[in-house]
Amino acid sequence: MMLDFQRYQIAFTAHIRNPSLHKKPARVADRRMAIYREIVFNNIFGSVSACYPVCKNILGVRAWRKLMRQFFASHQASSPIFREIPQQFLEFLKSTKDLPNYLEQLAHYEWVELAIGTQLTETLKLSKKTDLLNEKPLLAPAHMLLEYDYAVHKISKRNQPKETEKTYLLVFRNTENQVKFIELNTMTFQLLQLIDKNNMTGKQTLERLAEAIKHPNADILIKFGAEILADLADQGAIIGSVNNYLV
Amino acid sequence: MPTLADIKGVGLGLKRELIPQIQSLYQNPSISNINFLEIAPENWIGAGGKAVADLAWFVEHFPIVCHGLCLSLGGPDSLNVNFLKQVKSFLSTNKIPLYTEHLSFCSDIQHGKAGYLYDLLPIPFTEEAVHYVANRIRQTQDILGQRIAVENASFYVAAPISTMDELTFIKAVLEEADCDLHLDINNIYVNSINFRFDAHEFLRGIPGERIVYSHVAGHLQVKPDLLVDTHGENIIDPVWALLDEAYQLFGVFPTLLERDLNIPALPELIPEIDKIAAYQARHRLQQPKVA
Repeated sequence: MMLDFQRYQIAFTAHIRNPSLHKKPARVADRRMAIYREIVFNNIFGSVSACYPVCKNILGVRAWRKLMRQFFASHQASSPIFREIPQQFLEFLKSTKDLPNYLEQLAHYEWVELAIGTQLTETLKLSKKTDLLNEKPLLAPAHMLLEYDYAVHKISKRNQPKETEKTYLLVFRNTENQVKFIELNTMTFQLLQLIDKNNMTGKQTLERLAEAIKHPNADILIKFGAEILADLADQGAIIGSVNNYLV
Repeated sequence: MPTLADIKGVGLGLKRELIPQIQSLYQNPSISNINFLEIAPENWIGAGGKAVADLAWFVEHFPIVCHGLCLSLGGPDSLNVNFLKQVKSFLSTNKIPLYTEHLSFCSDIQHGKAGYLYDLLPIPFTEEAVHYVANRIRQTQDILGQRIAVENASFYVAAPISTMDELTFIKAVLEEADCDLHLDINNIYVNSINFRFDAHEFLRGIPGERIVYSHVAGHLQVKPDLLVDTHGENIIDPVWALLDEAYQLFGVFPTLLERDLNIPALPELIPEIDKIAAYQARHRLQQPKVA
Protein backbone atom coordinates (compact mmCIF):
# COMPACT_ATOMS: atom_id res chain seq x y z
CA MET A 1 0.00 0.00 0.00
CA MET A 2 1.28 3.41 -0.90
CA LEU A 3 1.84 5.95 1.87
CA ASP A 4 0.76 9.59 1.55
CA PHE A 5 4.29 10.93 1.22
CA GLN A 6 5.04 8.33 -1.44
CA ARG A 7 2.08 9.46 -3.52
CA TYR A 8 3.61 12.93 -3.37
CA GLN A 9 7.05 11.57 -4.34
CA ILE A 10 5.65 9.78 -7.35
CA ALA A 11 3.72 12.85 -8.51
CA PHE A 12 6.95 14.82 -8.02
CA THR A 13 9.04 12.50 -10.21
CA ALA A 14 6.27 11.99 -12.77
CA HIS A 15 6.34 15.74 -13.33
CA ILE A 16 10.15 15.81 -13.54
CA ARG A 17 10.09 12.99 -16.08
CA ASN A 18 7.36 14.45 -18.25
CA PRO A 19 6.27 17.98 -17.32
CA SER A 20 3.91 18.35 -20.30
CA LEU A 21 1.94 15.26 -19.30
CA HIS A 22 2.06 15.48 -15.51
CA LYS A 23 1.36 18.63 -13.52
CA LYS A 24 3.67 19.50 -10.66
CA PRO A 25 2.39 18.60 -7.18
CA ALA A 26 -0.08 21.15 -5.81
CA ARG A 27 1.27 24.19 -3.94
CA VAL A 28 4.87 23.71 -5.11
CA ALA A 29 6.64 26.80 -6.48
CA ASP A 30 7.20 26.38 -10.20
CA ARG A 31 10.54 28.21 -10.34
CA ARG A 32 11.89 25.83 -7.70
CA MET A 33 10.46 22.81 -9.48
CA ALA A 34 12.28 24.03 -12.60
CA ILE A 35 15.63 23.28 -10.92
CA TYR A 36 14.74 19.59 -10.62
CA ARG A 37 13.29 19.47 -14.13
CA GLU A 38 16.66 20.69 -15.39
CA ILE A 39 19.28 19.00 -13.21
CA VAL A 40 17.80 15.52 -13.29
CA PHE A 41 17.32 15.54 -17.05
CA ASN A 42 20.67 17.21 -17.75
CA ASN A 43 22.52 14.63 -15.69
CA ILE A 44 21.06 11.74 -17.68
CA PHE A 45 21.34 13.67 -20.95
CA GLY A 46 25.05 14.19 -20.26
CA SER A 47 25.79 10.55 -19.40
CA VAL A 48 23.96 9.17 -22.41
CA SER A 49 25.16 11.78 -24.92
CA ALA A 50 28.80 11.19 -23.98
CA CYS A 51 28.45 7.56 -25.04
CA TYR A 52 26.68 8.19 -28.36
CA PRO A 53 28.38 11.11 -30.16
CA VAL A 54 27.73 9.76 -33.67
CA CYS A 55 24.04 9.01 -33.04
CA LYS A 56 23.65 12.47 -31.56
CA ASN A 57 25.39 14.14 -34.47
CA ILE A 58 23.34 12.26 -37.08
CA LEU A 59 19.98 12.96 -35.48
CA GLY A 60 20.88 16.57 -34.77
CA VAL A 61 20.58 18.43 -31.50
CA ARG A 62 16.79 18.85 -31.51
CA ALA A 63 15.85 15.30 -32.44
CA TRP A 64 18.45 13.93 -30.05
CA ARG A 65 17.09 16.01 -27.21
CA LYS A 66 13.56 14.88 -28.04
CA LEU A 67 14.67 11.26 -28.01
CA MET A 68 16.41 11.77 -24.65
CA ARG A 69 13.23 13.35 -23.29
CA GLN A 70 11.27 10.33 -24.47
CA PHE A 71 13.83 8.02 -22.85
CA PHE A 72 13.67 9.86 -19.55
CA ALA A 73 9.86 10.02 -19.58
CA SER A 74 9.19 6.41 -20.49
CA HIS A 75 12.12 4.25 -19.44
CA GLN A 76 12.44 3.03 -15.87
CA ALA A 77 16.19 2.53 -15.49
CA SER A 78 16.90 -0.60 -13.48
CA SER A 79 20.57 -0.16 -12.49
CA PRO A 80 22.03 2.11 -9.78
CA ILE A 81 25.45 1.90 -11.47
CA PHE A 82 26.23 5.11 -13.35
CA ARG A 83 28.19 3.62 -16.23
CA GLU A 84 25.19 1.41 -17.02
CA ILE A 85 22.97 4.41 -17.87
CA PRO A 86 23.98 4.27 -21.57
CA GLN A 87 23.06 0.58 -21.63
CA GLN A 88 19.60 1.48 -20.33
CA PHE A 89 19.28 3.80 -23.32
CA LEU A 90 20.17 0.93 -25.64
CA GLU A 91 17.31 -1.10 -24.16
CA PHE A 92 14.97 1.83 -24.67
CA LEU A 93 15.99 2.14 -28.34
CA LYS A 94 14.78 -1.41 -29.04
CA SER A 95 11.21 -0.35 -28.45
CA THR A 96 11.48 3.03 -30.18
CA LYS A 97 9.98 3.58 -33.60
CA ASP A 98 10.53 6.21 -36.31
CA LEU A 99 14.32 6.12 -36.16
CA PRO A 100 16.70 5.34 -39.04
CA ASN A 101 16.95 1.55 -39.50
CA TYR A 102 20.64 1.48 -38.73
CA LEU A 103 20.45 3.60 -35.57
CA GLU A 104 20.01 0.78 -33.08
CA GLN A 105 23.07 -1.04 -34.44
CA LEU A 106 25.09 2.17 -34.60
CA ALA A 107 24.21 2.89 -30.98
CA HIS A 108 25.23 -0.63 -30.03
CA TYR A 109 28.57 -0.13 -31.78
CA GLU A 110 29.12 3.13 -29.90
CA TRP A 111 28.17 1.52 -26.57
CA VAL A 112 30.60 -1.38 -27.09
CA GLU A 113 33.59 0.90 -26.53
CA LEU A 114 32.34 1.74 -23.04
CA ALA A 115 31.33 -1.86 -22.34
CA ILE A 116 34.71 -3.34 -23.32
CA GLY A 117 36.64 -0.50 -21.71
CA THR A 118 35.04 -1.20 -18.33
CA GLN A 119 34.34 -4.94 -18.49
CA LEU A 120 35.53 -6.78 -15.41
CA THR A 121 37.83 -9.66 -16.37
CA GLU A 122 39.88 -12.36 -14.72
CA THR A 123 43.62 -12.65 -15.13
CA LEU A 124 44.42 -15.62 -17.34
CA LYS A 125 47.40 -17.88 -16.92
CA LEU A 126 49.18 -18.21 -20.24
CA SER A 127 51.83 -20.59 -21.52
CA LYS A 128 55.33 -19.15 -21.34
CA LYS A 129 55.83 -19.70 -25.03
CA THR A 130 53.03 -18.71 -27.35
CA ASP A 131 52.17 -21.49 -29.80
CA LEU A 132 49.02 -20.51 -31.63
CA LEU A 133 48.81 -23.68 -33.75
CA ASN A 134 49.58 -26.37 -31.19
CA GLU A 135 47.93 -24.71 -28.22
CA LYS A 136 44.62 -22.93 -27.74
CA PRO A 137 44.93 -19.24 -28.78
CA LEU A 138 43.44 -16.85 -26.24
CA LEU A 139 41.69 -13.64 -27.18
CA ALA A 140 42.09 -10.57 -24.93
CA PRO A 141 39.90 -11.21 -21.84
CA ALA A 142 37.64 -8.26 -22.63
CA HIS A 143 36.47 -8.71 -26.20
CA MET A 144 33.36 -9.03 -28.33
CA LEU A 145 32.85 -10.56 -31.74
CA LEU A 146 30.18 -8.52 -33.44
CA GLU A 147 28.06 -8.97 -36.51
CA TYR A 148 26.19 -5.93 -37.84
CA ASP A 149 23.91 -5.45 -40.84
CA TYR A 150 25.47 -2.06 -41.54
CA ALA A 151 29.02 -0.79 -41.79
CA VAL A 152 28.51 0.86 -38.41
CA HIS A 153 32.16 1.89 -38.07
CA LYS A 154 31.93 4.05 -41.19
CA ILE A 155 28.68 5.81 -40.38
CA SER A 156 28.78 9.57 -39.91
CA LYS A 157 26.47 12.48 -40.61
CA ARG A 158 27.88 12.61 -44.15
CA ASN A 159 27.92 8.87 -44.62
CA GLN A 160 24.55 7.47 -43.67
CA PRO A 161 23.96 3.99 -45.03
CA LYS A 162 21.27 3.56 -47.64
CA GLU A 163 21.71 -0.19 -47.87
CA THR A 164 22.68 -2.98 -45.57
CA GLU A 165 26.30 -4.17 -45.59
CA LYS A 166 27.23 -7.17 -43.48
CA THR A 167 30.02 -6.10 -41.14
CA TYR A 168 32.12 -8.16 -38.75
CA LEU A 169 34.14 -6.58 -35.98
CA LEU A 170 36.42 -7.71 -33.21
CA VAL A 171 36.48 -5.24 -30.34
CA PHE A 172 38.95 -5.83 -27.52
CA ARG A 173 40.79 -4.15 -24.69
CA ASN A 174 44.57 -4.40 -24.99
CA THR A 175 47.02 -4.71 -22.12
CA GLU A 176 47.34 -0.89 -21.99
CA ASN A 177 43.58 -0.77 -21.33
CA GLN A 178 42.86 0.79 -24.71
CA VAL A 179 39.81 -0.36 -26.66
CA LYS A 180 40.65 -1.43 -30.23
CA PHE A 181 38.43 -2.28 -33.19
CA ILE A 182 39.43 -4.64 -36.01
CA GLU A 183 37.27 -5.22 -39.06
CA LEU A 184 37.14 -8.89 -40.00
CA ASN A 185 36.25 -10.82 -43.12
CA THR A 186 33.69 -13.61 -42.86
CA MET A 187 36.29 -16.33 -42.56
CA THR A 188 38.29 -14.69 -39.79
CA PHE A 189 35.06 -13.95 -37.96
CA GLN A 190 34.10 -17.63 -38.13
CA LEU A 191 37.60 -18.66 -37.06
CA LEU A 192 37.47 -16.44 -33.98
CA GLN A 193 33.98 -17.64 -33.13
CA LEU A 194 35.27 -21.22 -33.17
CA ILE A 195 38.25 -20.25 -31.01
CA ASP A 196 35.91 -18.53 -28.57
CA LYS A 197 33.46 -21.40 -28.27
CA ASN A 198 35.72 -24.42 -28.29
CA ASN A 199 38.66 -25.78 -26.37
CA MET A 200 40.84 -26.62 -29.35
CA THR A 201 44.32 -25.81 -30.59
CA GLY A 202 44.70 -23.30 -33.41
CA LYS A 203 45.35 -26.16 -35.82
CA GLN A 204 42.29 -28.13 -34.73
CA THR A 205 40.18 -25.01 -35.03
CA LEU A 206 41.40 -24.38 -38.56
CA GLU A 207 40.67 -27.99 -39.52
CA ARG A 208 37.18 -27.58 -38.11
CA LEU A 209 36.79 -24.38 -40.11
CA ALA A 210 37.97 -26.07 -43.32
CA GLU A 211 35.28 -28.67 -42.76
CA ALA A 212 32.60 -26.12 -42.03
CA ILE A 213 33.26 -23.98 -45.10
CA LYS A 214 34.11 -27.06 -47.25
CA HIS A 215 37.53 -25.71 -48.11
CA PRO A 216 39.18 -28.00 -50.73
CA ASN A 217 42.64 -27.84 -49.14
CA ALA A 218 42.88 -27.84 -45.33
CA ASP A 219 46.69 -27.40 -45.37
CA ILE A 220 46.48 -24.14 -47.30
CA LEU A 221 43.80 -22.91 -44.88
CA ILE A 222 45.97 -23.82 -41.90
CA LYS A 223 48.95 -21.95 -43.34
CA PHE A 224 46.79 -18.94 -44.14
CA GLY A 225 45.02 -19.16 -40.77
CA ALA A 226 48.32 -19.28 -38.90
CA GLU A 227 49.26 -15.96 -40.48
CA ILE A 228 45.95 -14.44 -39.43
CA LEU A 229 46.39 -15.61 -35.85
CA ALA A 230 49.95 -14.27 -35.76
CA ASP A 231 48.74 -10.93 -37.08
CA LEU A 232 45.99 -10.75 -34.44
CA ALA A 233 48.61 -11.52 -31.80
CA ASP A 234 50.76 -8.66 -33.16
CA GLN A 235 47.80 -6.34 -32.76
CA GLY A 236 47.22 -7.46 -29.18
CA ALA A 237 43.86 -9.11 -29.89
CA ILE A 238 45.31 -12.53 -29.14
CA ILE A 239 47.30 -12.39 -25.93
CA GLY A 240 48.94 -15.82 -26.07
CA SER A 241 48.05 -19.47 -25.81
CA VAL A 242 47.24 -22.09 -23.20
CA ASN A 243 47.91 -25.80 -23.24
CA ASN A 244 45.42 -26.96 -20.63
CA TYR A 245 42.66 -27.32 -23.21
CA LEU A 246 40.51 -30.40 -23.37
CA VAL A 247 41.12 -32.60 -26.37
CA MET B 1 43.31 -2.82 7.42
CA PRO B 2 41.97 0.73 7.89
CA THR B 3 39.32 1.24 10.55
CA LEU B 4 36.97 4.13 11.22
CA ALA B 5 39.75 5.65 13.35
CA ASP B 6 41.92 5.96 10.22
CA ILE B 7 39.36 8.25 8.62
CA LYS B 8 40.58 11.47 10.19
CA GLY B 9 41.71 14.94 9.26
CA VAL B 10 40.90 16.14 5.75
CA GLY B 11 39.85 14.20 2.68
CA LEU B 12 39.21 14.83 -0.98
CA GLY B 13 36.64 13.38 -3.38
CA LEU B 14 38.49 11.15 -5.86
CA LYS B 15 37.39 12.45 -9.24
CA ARG B 16 38.84 10.79 -12.36
CA GLU B 17 40.69 13.97 -13.33
CA LEU B 18 42.50 13.93 -10.00
CA ILE B 19 43.67 10.31 -10.14
CA PRO B 20 46.98 10.82 -11.99
CA GLN B 21 47.66 14.08 -10.13
CA ILE B 22 47.32 12.52 -6.69
CA GLN B 23 49.41 9.55 -7.78
CA SER B 24 52.22 11.72 -9.05
CA LEU B 25 52.20 13.95 -5.96
CA TYR B 26 51.97 11.05 -3.51
CA GLN B 27 54.04 11.79 -0.39
CA ASN B 28 54.83 15.24 -1.76
CA PRO B 29 54.61 17.70 1.18
CA SER B 30 52.25 19.90 -0.84
CA ILE B 31 49.42 17.37 -0.48
CA SER B 32 50.30 16.14 3.00
CA ASN B 33 46.98 17.36 4.39
CA ILE B 34 45.02 14.92 2.21
CA ASN B 35 44.57 12.10 4.72
CA PHE B 36 41.84 10.10 3.01
CA LEU B 37 39.86 9.91 -0.22
CA GLU B 38 36.20 9.38 -0.96
CA ILE B 39 34.62 7.43 -3.80
CA ALA B 40 31.06 6.70 -4.93
CA PRO B 41 30.41 2.95 -5.01
CA GLU B 42 28.12 3.51 -8.01
CA ASN B 43 31.18 4.55 -10.02
CA TRP B 44 33.45 1.69 -9.04
CA ILE B 45 31.45 -1.47 -8.32
CA GLY B 46 32.01 -3.99 -11.10
CA ALA B 47 34.30 -1.68 -13.06
CA GLY B 48 37.09 -3.40 -14.96
CA GLY B 49 39.98 -2.13 -17.07
CA LYS B 50 41.92 0.87 -15.84
CA ALA B 51 39.58 1.26 -12.84
CA VAL B 52 40.89 -1.98 -11.30
CA ALA B 53 44.51 -0.81 -11.19
CA ASP B 54 43.50 2.69 -10.06
CA LEU B 55 41.36 1.38 -7.23
CA ALA B 56 44.04 -1.06 -6.10
CA TRP B 57 46.60 1.76 -5.99
CA PHE B 58 44.40 4.07 -3.93
CA VAL B 59 43.30 1.33 -1.54
CA GLU B 60 46.96 0.61 -0.88
CA HIS B 61 48.00 4.23 -0.39
CA PHE B 62 45.05 5.97 1.32
CA PRO B 63 42.19 5.21 3.69
CA ILE B 64 39.01 5.27 1.58
CA VAL B 65 35.44 6.30 2.38
CA CYS B 66 32.45 5.20 0.33
CA HIS B 67 29.79 7.84 -0.17
CA GLY B 68 26.79 6.44 -2.00
CA LEU B 69 24.37 8.25 -4.28
CA CYS B 70 21.80 5.73 -5.47
CA LEU B 71 20.71 3.71 -2.46
CA SER B 72 17.53 5.79 -2.38
CA LEU B 73 16.89 5.48 1.35
CA GLY B 74 13.68 7.47 0.95
CA GLY B 75 12.58 5.88 -2.33
CA PRO B 76 9.07 4.45 -2.86
CA ASP B 77 10.38 1.29 -4.52
CA SER B 78 11.80 -1.52 -2.43
CA LEU B 79 15.35 -1.23 -1.14
CA ASN B 80 17.81 -2.66 -3.67
CA VAL B 81 19.09 -5.55 -1.58
CA ASN B 82 21.09 -6.99 -4.44
CA PHE B 83 22.96 -3.71 -4.84
CA LEU B 84 23.52 -3.51 -1.07
CA LYS B 85 25.12 -6.93 -1.14
CA GLN B 86 27.45 -5.70 -3.86
CA VAL B 87 28.27 -2.68 -1.69
CA LYS B 88 29.00 -4.97 1.25
CA SER B 89 31.38 -7.07 -0.78
CA PHE B 90 32.98 -3.96 -2.31
CA LEU B 91 33.61 -2.46 1.15
CA SER B 92 35.15 -5.64 2.42
CA THR B 93 37.30 -6.36 -0.66
CA ASN B 94 38.70 -2.84 -0.63
CA LYS B 95 39.01 -2.53 3.15
CA ILE B 96 36.73 0.50 3.30
CA PRO B 97 35.58 1.19 6.88
CA LEU B 98 32.86 3.82 6.26
CA TYR B 99 29.81 3.93 4.01
CA THR B 100 27.53 6.95 4.05
CA GLU B 101 24.38 7.79 2.10
CA HIS B 102 21.90 10.65 1.70
CA LEU B 103 18.63 11.44 3.41
CA SER B 104 16.94 11.67 0.04
CA PHE B 105 15.53 9.49 -2.71
CA CYS B 106 16.68 8.86 -6.28
CA SER B 107 14.24 6.28 -7.61
CA ASP B 108 10.50 6.08 -8.22
CA ILE B 109 7.74 3.80 -9.47
CA GLN B 110 5.91 4.65 -12.68
CA HIS B 111 3.47 2.34 -14.46
CA GLY B 112 4.13 -0.22 -11.73
CA LYS B 113 7.86 -0.33 -12.47
CA ALA B 114 10.73 0.92 -10.32
CA GLY B 115 13.31 3.18 -11.95
CA TYR B 116 16.34 5.27 -11.07
CA LEU B 117 16.57 9.02 -11.68
CA TYR B 118 20.23 9.25 -10.61
CA ASP B 119 19.77 12.47 -8.65
CA LEU B 120 19.07 13.40 -5.05
CA LEU B 121 15.43 14.30 -4.49
CA PRO B 122 13.85 15.65 -1.29
CA ILE B 123 11.88 13.39 1.05
CA PRO B 124 8.77 15.09 2.50
CA PHE B 125 9.21 15.57 6.25
CA THR B 126 6.31 13.58 7.70
CA GLU B 127 5.91 11.07 10.55
CA GLU B 128 5.32 8.28 8.05
CA ALA B 129 8.49 9.19 6.20
CA VAL B 130 10.52 9.15 9.44
CA HIS B 131 9.41 5.58 10.21
CA TYR B 132 9.83 4.48 6.61
CA VAL B 133 13.34 5.89 6.17
CA ALA B 134 14.52 4.78 9.62
CA ASN B 135 13.33 1.28 8.85
CA ARG B 136 15.26 1.23 5.58
CA ILE B 137 18.41 2.50 7.30
CA ARG B 138 18.06 -0.31 9.85
CA GLN B 139 17.57 -2.80 7.04
CA THR B 140 20.70 -1.42 5.33
CA GLN B 141 22.77 -1.69 8.51
CA ASP B 142 21.53 -5.26 9.02
CA ILE B 143 22.50 -6.31 5.51
CA LEU B 144 25.91 -4.61 5.67
CA GLY B 145 26.57 -5.75 9.21
CA GLN B 146 27.85 -2.26 10.03
CA ARG B 147 26.56 1.19 10.94
CA ILE B 148 26.08 3.75 8.22
CA ALA B 149 26.02 7.52 8.40
CA VAL B 150 23.32 9.50 6.62
CA GLU B 151 23.88 12.94 5.16
CA ASN B 152 21.59 15.94 5.52
CA ALA B 153 20.75 16.68 1.87
CA SER B 154 20.40 19.98 0.04
CA PHE B 155 17.11 20.69 -1.68
CA TYR B 156 15.18 23.31 -3.61
CA VAL B 157 11.52 22.43 -3.17
CA ALA B 158 9.82 22.25 0.22
CA ALA B 159 7.11 19.58 0.16
CA PRO B 160 3.80 21.25 1.06
CA ILE B 161 2.77 18.03 2.80
CA SER B 162 5.66 18.23 5.30
CA THR B 163 4.49 18.32 8.91
CA MET B 164 7.85 19.09 10.53
CA ASP B 165 11.00 21.05 9.77
CA GLU B 166 14.20 19.50 8.42
CA LEU B 167 16.06 19.44 11.71
CA THR B 168 13.20 17.67 13.49
CA PHE B 169 13.08 15.16 10.66
CA ILE B 170 16.82 14.46 10.72
CA LYS B 171 16.88 14.04 14.49
CA ALA B 172 13.86 11.73 14.46
CA VAL B 173 15.37 9.54 11.72
CA LEU B 174 18.78 9.31 13.44
CA GLU B 175 17.13 8.42 16.72
CA GLU B 176 14.76 5.82 15.32
CA ALA B 177 17.32 4.23 12.98
CA ASP B 178 20.12 4.53 15.52
CA CYS B 179 22.62 5.42 12.82
CA ASP B 180 25.43 7.97 12.51
CA LEU B 181 25.34 11.42 10.99
CA HIS B 182 27.30 12.56 7.98
CA LEU B 183 27.05 16.31 8.43
CA ASP B 184 27.14 18.35 5.24
CA ILE B 185 28.05 21.89 6.25
CA ASN B 186 27.40 23.40 2.84
CA ASN B 187 23.96 21.79 2.66
CA ILE B 188 22.94 23.48 5.90
CA TYR B 189 23.91 26.81 4.39
CA VAL B 190 22.26 26.11 1.01
CA ASN B 191 19.00 25.08 2.66
CA SER B 192 19.11 28.01 5.08
CA ILE B 193 19.09 30.42 2.13
CA ASN B 194 16.61 28.42 0.06
CA PHE B 195 14.18 28.03 2.95
CA ARG B 196 15.05 31.07 5.07
CA PHE B 197 16.20 29.72 8.37
CA ASP B 198 19.17 30.50 10.57
CA ALA B 199 21.99 28.13 9.65
CA HIS B 200 23.81 28.57 12.96
CA GLU B 201 20.70 27.86 14.98
CA PHE B 202 20.15 24.74 12.86
CA LEU B 203 23.73 23.66 13.50
CA ARG B 204 23.33 24.09 17.25
CA GLY B 205 20.36 21.70 17.12
CA ILE B 206 22.37 18.90 15.49
CA PRO B 207 22.99 15.83 17.71
CA GLY B 208 26.77 16.21 17.68
CA GLU B 209 27.46 12.86 19.29
CA ARG B 210 26.29 11.14 16.09
CA ILE B 211 28.65 12.99 13.72
CA VAL B 212 31.28 10.66 12.25
CA TYR B 213 32.01 12.46 9.01
CA SER B 214 31.39 15.70 7.18
CA HIS B 215 31.41 17.45 3.83
CA VAL B 216 32.19 20.99 2.90
CA ALA B 217 31.85 22.45 -0.60
CA GLY B 218 31.07 25.42 -2.78
CA HIS B 219 27.72 26.06 -4.45
CA LEU B 220 26.17 28.20 -7.15
CA GLN B 221 24.12 31.27 -6.36
CA VAL B 222 21.33 31.34 -8.96
CA LYS B 223 19.31 34.10 -7.30
CA PRO B 224 19.72 35.92 -3.99
CA ASP B 225 17.30 33.45 -2.40
CA LEU B 226 18.23 30.36 -4.40
CA LEU B 227 21.46 28.38 -4.12
CA VAL B 228 22.18 25.22 -6.10
CA ASP B 229 24.48 22.65 -4.54
CA THR B 230 26.82 22.18 -7.52
CA HIS B 231 30.13 21.51 -5.72
CA GLY B 232 31.62 23.56 -8.52
CA GLU B 233 32.91 26.69 -6.78
CA ASN B 234 35.15 27.65 -3.91
CA ILE B 235 33.79 27.52 -0.37
CA ILE B 236 32.33 30.87 0.68
CA ASP B 237 32.94 32.63 4.00
CA PRO B 238 29.57 31.90 5.64
CA VAL B 239 30.20 28.17 5.08
CA TRP B 240 33.68 28.46 6.60
CA ALA B 241 32.08 30.17 9.59
CA LEU B 242 29.65 27.25 9.96
CA LEU B 243 32.47 24.72 9.81
CA ASP B 244 34.34 26.73 12.43
CA GLU B 245 31.34 26.73 14.73
CA ALA B 246 30.68 23.03 14.14
CA TYR B 247 34.21 22.15 15.32
CA GLN B 248 33.73 24.52 18.24
CA LEU B 249 30.44 22.89 19.23
CA PHE B 250 31.15 19.23 18.56
CA GLY B 251 34.91 18.89 18.43
CA VAL B 252 36.92 18.03 15.31
CA PHE B 253 35.53 15.38 12.93
CA PRO B 254 36.87 14.15 9.57
CA THR B 255 35.97 16.58 6.81
CA LEU B 256 35.97 16.08 3.08
CA LEU B 257 36.27 18.75 0.40
CA GLU B 258 33.74 17.99 -2.34
CA ARG B 259 34.50 19.22 -5.81
CA ASP B 260 32.43 17.71 -8.61
CA LEU B 261 32.25 20.45 -11.23
CA ASN B 262 34.77 22.92 -12.74
CA ILE B 263 37.46 20.73 -11.22
CA PRO B 264 40.71 22.69 -11.24
CA ALA B 265 44.22 21.25 -11.14
CA LEU B 266 45.00 19.65 -7.79
CA PRO B 267 47.33 22.45 -6.56
CA GLU B 268 44.39 24.85 -6.78
CA LEU B 269 42.36 22.71 -4.38
CA ILE B 270 45.15 22.58 -1.81
CA PRO B 271 44.52 25.98 -0.19
CA GLU B 272 40.98 24.86 0.78
CA ILE B 273 42.29 21.52 2.06
CA ASP B 274 45.00 23.28 4.07
CA LYS B 275 42.44 25.71 5.44
CA ILE B 276 40.23 22.88 6.72
CA ALA B 277 43.34 21.30 8.28
CA ALA B 278 44.23 24.63 9.92
CA TYR B 279 40.71 24.93 11.39
CA GLN B 280 41.00 21.40 12.72
CA ALA B 281 44.43 22.06 14.24
CA ARG B 282 43.17 25.19 15.95
CA HIS B 283 40.14 23.43 17.42
CA ARG B 284 42.13 20.42 18.55
CA LEU B 285 44.03 22.77 20.83
CA GLN B 286 40.81 24.11 22.30
CA GLN B 287 38.59 22.21 24.65
CA PRO B 288 35.56 21.08 22.68
CA LYS B 289 32.18 21.47 24.33
CA VAL B 290 31.33 17.90 23.38
CA ALA B 291 34.09 15.33 23.40
